[in-house]
Amino acid sequence: MKQFGVILRFELGNYLKNKVFVGVTVFLVLALGVLLFFPRIAGLFKDGGDETAEAEDRPVMLLDVSDADEDTLLDAFSAAFPDYEVRAGDAADIEAQIADGTAECAFALEGLGSYTYYVEDLSLYDMNTDIADQVLGQMYRLGAMTAGGLTPEQAADILSFQPEYTVETLGADQGQNFFYTYIMIFALYMVILLYGQMVANSVATEKSSRAMELLITSAKPVSMMFGKVIAACLAGLFQLVCVFGAALLFYRLNRAAWGDNPLMGALFDMPPALLGYMLLYFVLGFFLYAFLFGAVGSTATKLEDINTSVMPIMLVFIAGFMVVVFAMSSGTVNSTVMKVCSYVPFTSPMAMFTRIAMSTVSWVEIALSALILAASVFGVGVLAARIYRVGVLLYGASPKLRDILRSLRRA
Amino acid sequence: MDLEFQDIRKSFGPKTVLDGVSFRARSGEALGLLGRNGAGKTTSIRILMDVFPADGGRVLADGAPIDHSRVSMGYLPEERGLYPKKKIGEQLVYFARLNGMSKTAAAEAVDTWLDRLGMTEYRDKRLDTLSKGNQQKIQLITALAHDPDVIILDEPFSGLDPVNAMLLKDVVKEELARGKTVLFSSHQMSYIEEFCHSIAILRGGRIVLAGQLHDIKRDYPRDRLVIRSEQADAIAAAFPDVCVRRENGELLLRLPSPEAKGQTMKALTERFDIDELRVFEPSLNDIFVEYAGDQEQGGEKA
Repeated sequence: MKQFGVILRFELGNYLKNKVFVGVTVFLVLALGVLLFFPRIAGLFKDGGDETAEAEDRPVMLLDVSDADEDTLLDAFSAAFPDYEVRAGDAADIEAQIADGTAECAFALEGLGSYTYYVEDLSLYDMNTDIADQVLGQMYRLGAMTAGGLTPEQAADILSFQPEYTVETLGADQGQNFFYTYIMIFALYMVILLYGQMVANSVATEKSSRAMELLITSAKPVSMMFGKVIAACLAGLFQLVCVFGAALLFYRLNRAAWGDNPLMGALFDMPPALLGYMLLYFVLGFFLYAFLFGAVGSTATKLEDINTSVMPIMLVFIAGFMVVVFAMSSGTVNSTVMKVCSYVPFTSPMAMFTRIAMSTVSWVEIALSALILAASVFGVGVLAARIYRVGVLLYGASPKLRDILRSLRRA
Repeated sequence: MDLEFQDIRKSFGPKTVLDGVSFRARSGEALGLLGRNGAGKTTSIRILMDVFPADGGRVLADGAPIDHSRVSMGYLPEERGLYPKKKIGEQLVYFARLNGMSKTAAAEAVDTWLDRLGMTEYRDKRLDTLSKGNQQKIQLITALAHDPDVIILDEPFSGLDPVNAMLLKDVVKEELARGKTVLFSSHQMSYIEEFCHSIAILRGGRIVLAGQLHDIKRDYPRDRLVIRSEQADAIAAAFPDVCVRRENGELLLRLPSPEAKGQTMKALTERFDIDELRVFEPSLNDIFVEYAGDQEQGGEKA
């Protein structure tokens, strides 16, 4: 136990004294600071009056109208595209203007029923034709109604009819919690992958530098393995707490400046219990993978071997991440696949956490999933320590899985 | 502390590495553990240090089965290596603490040893900035700093210049004088001869020769004569088949039996002009080659 403490402190010191580790943490905190203080800083430099300047910066949209009703259409398009400065254009030089950058896009109308949309590069998110469809449809219906005897006011009333509704969310609001769940899952993914790799590298470095010869005779393999894994876990946790803590703190300080920006609200209004779940699944998930990474690291002879030997673990982990992200973005977090994944130990840290965050899960399910995960961590820990014990003494070519299993039975 | 291996066996899968190994090392004495590569030396050392258990047999410390939590050991592995990117003082303290020392005691011991080996100036340097010989001295400190009862040195002299080799000899002699048990494994027989009271030669996982070095030498059959003479060629011609010329120009004459030596010596001095004539006493090198070598090498020996 005393030995374990010495190893833990030494390994933790390796992280905390590592310039890259400190640098990345400081950089992330600073970047978050700049980002979250931005509205306040930007407010200092803004002296009103800039509104018009901004208006002039809007991209230009050209409108070529074949019939006489040009002014009405210009007004309607200006109202429908507030982000554009809508100007009348001529069919002849529309393409030239777009090509030389004076205009960003253009509509050439042939009556209300048909048009051509000109744009340099069509973005995936270009909704302009949808908006134009609405404007033109609206105008067509308005024209038809007034022709049928209604006054323009009556027609406008009918067209602008909108039922009122309110949403009463009894479970979780996926629109609201999508962002922070995504960020937390992503943080989980990054930290487990990065620190898991570091555990594997650290074991393989000791082995390739032959420090292992001395270590293995001075310390118990179990202490060495656990010291490394727990040190990496603490270092990862420390970094997470720094980054998330700083983000939360900076947001609190600038809440007024952000006003009620919906994105910021969606990011930071997470229930505190969720942080608890994140901690639980982070720690358990981390141990599970770090033990595996450590065991794999111990079987490598050279550092270069690590990359190929950790591949299977990475694939399982990345596949789990993909399943979760796909379920999140398609809104099917309670699909059968996700339910199965939330009990399989290798995917449950991400899958169950997502389900907790984005839907309603009974505590029995959570307890069962956490229990399975904890039991697997224990099992994998014991197995990894045995592989480690055998692996660190194997030099030469990387042993085959069969050899390791065989020597495990003897150890 | 007296150490004793009793009939130790160890196999890795189908391969038997140690097949009933027994030897003993006494407190205040150095034991030379000899054998060719792959003879089982490292496996024996690892069993002694409890890296893995033996399949059979016992290791005794002062006559009782060894308790690894009580017996402290220092090890200089043949495959040298520490943390190349870490400061020397830092990692030395770490290793001393892994071996059970408190933080202050470890720092103190490390300082003392750095001073003893003339390495104090490197305390805050990274290990990979040092020369090979100096790295070796640092490695030696990891074996000695925690004041172990048993010191295991595997090829301690490889890579050391003559001055450092002398320093290491002095250190080992001091430790022996303090009653430590030293296990010495080397292929440089001159060092073994200088230090070791006893030797154990391993071959294919068995002990082929063990005991006190001077007993072994004394018990060696005294049936060969060493002759130094200007007339070496004539002597060789007079004793065809039994006479071999050694590298240093001396002749080695094999007698039909040890009893024949008086008569032969007399005959030689009467017939030839002899500068030096003595009974051949094998060096450890000769003994090693005879016992540890394979059949062919054994045949080439004399």
